[in-house]
Amino acid sequence: MNAFEYAAPRTLDEALAVLGEHGDEARVIAGGTALVTMMRQRLVRPSYLVSLREIAGLDRIEAANGGLRLGALATHREVETSPRVRERLPVLAETFRRVASVRIRHMATVGGALAHADPNQDPPVTLIALGARVEIRGASGRRELPLEEFFRDYYESALEPGEVVTGVVVPSLPAASGAAYVKFLPRTADDYATVAVAATVSLEPDGERCRTARIALGSVGVTPIRARAAEALLAGQRVGADLLRAAGESVRGAVDPLSDHRGSAAYKREMAAVMAGRALTQAWDAARASVRGTR
Amino acid sequence: MGRGAGVGARNAVTFAQECVIPVERERLWDFLMEVPKVASCVPGVESVEAVDAGAYKGGLRVRVGPIRLSLQGTMTVEEQDRSSWRARMRAEANDRRVGGGIRARMNLTLASEEGGTRLRIETDLAILGRIGEFGQPVIKKKADALLEEFARNLGAALVA
Repeated sequence: MNAFEYAAPRTLDEALAVLGEHGDEARVIAGGTALVTMMRQRLVRPSYLVSLREIAGLDRIEAANGGLRLGALATHREVETSPRVRERLPVLAETFRRVASVRIRHMATVGGALAHADPNQDPPVTLIALGARVEIRGASGRRELPLEEFFRDYYESALEPGEVVTGVVVPSLPAASGAAYVKFLPRTADDYATVAVAATVSLEPDGERCRTARIALGSVGVTPIRARAAEALLAGQRVGADLLRAAGESVRGAVDPLSDHRGSAAYKREMAAVMAGRALTQAWDAARASVRGTR
Repeated sequence: MGRGAGVGARNAVTFAQECVIPVERERLWDFLMEVPKVASCVPGVESVEAVDAGAYKGGLRVRVGPIRLSLQGTMTVEEQDRSSWRARMRAEANDRRVGGGIRARMNLTLASEEGGTRLRIETDLAILGRIGEFGQPVIKKKADALLEEFARNLGAALVA
């Protein structure tokens, strides 16, 4: 690893000032699970690290507009075990539980994972399916983006130089909704997914027809991918097993996998169709069960 | 790319790319055989100078996610056959900071067609060292993006 200067400012403004001063040579560090690995491999060699750890309040998990706001410095383990998350959005707690190993989850942060923009991660998939928005701060102010617009390319995000992810806001699911996260990992439990799919389904008040569905996939392209064609197949429809399967099949056209040691692009495309069908079926069943439960 | 998980194949890829440049074949050929001119159309090229007949040295900057590579190396034109419109080139470059490099062999073919000339580039690429592990999955996509911009630049340089 190269030698570097380290700063741990106590306020976000100070951190932004340091980042502005050092430009390209500076990197933000939070949990360090991604950055330190890349530094040890000498793939990145920043001369200045700006830690966000001493900034108070950046790790809060709080209620926001009926939904949740996850502070950038909240760890994966904190999201996984938060009573608030488990009660309001159990699918999100479950998704964070599926990340790597418990040791990694204790270190890796919500904002760090987003800024890393690795297309194989779990949380972005479910966050996109839930319609989350990412909060960004820079020297020129604050902005917010739908998370699916935040990821631009392989390990590339919409973050401009000097900008920092400060949190992610996740709306709550409407009544009569279900959600599911399906992670296909045929190798080891702490591996990245070969294919990951998150789906949410909301029903019409009659409890019979689908009002809206959202589907997002991970590990099947250079960014997480939202499968809008599959969503459109379901919206407004009376849904049965055949339609759920057809919607799953349709994600083939949305994904663009990379061949790697987890499988060829063709294999991943097929698995994406299968896993999308399963995620949608689980979300649909959960939505139906929630309707029955309230009657 | 289209290859599976073979260990030996991991950091070596073969791919073919094509684009159509809206000029006649003779003109494109003459331009392509002048390496410094062509280099100015390759995104990220910083410098090129001739070191010998058909041999050049230069630098190329590429960004793959958080990794910025600064590749320094040589390119050699190994074969130029204007009668069959084929050329073969070889490039070797290293990044000393990150540790690693690339070795590439490229076969170029030009075919006339309506509205211009079809340029086909077949590449055998080996990626050495640390950058291979990280970058291999996206090389084909990066190469496609590079070619798209190259073709645009080439078109602009020749039509202007």
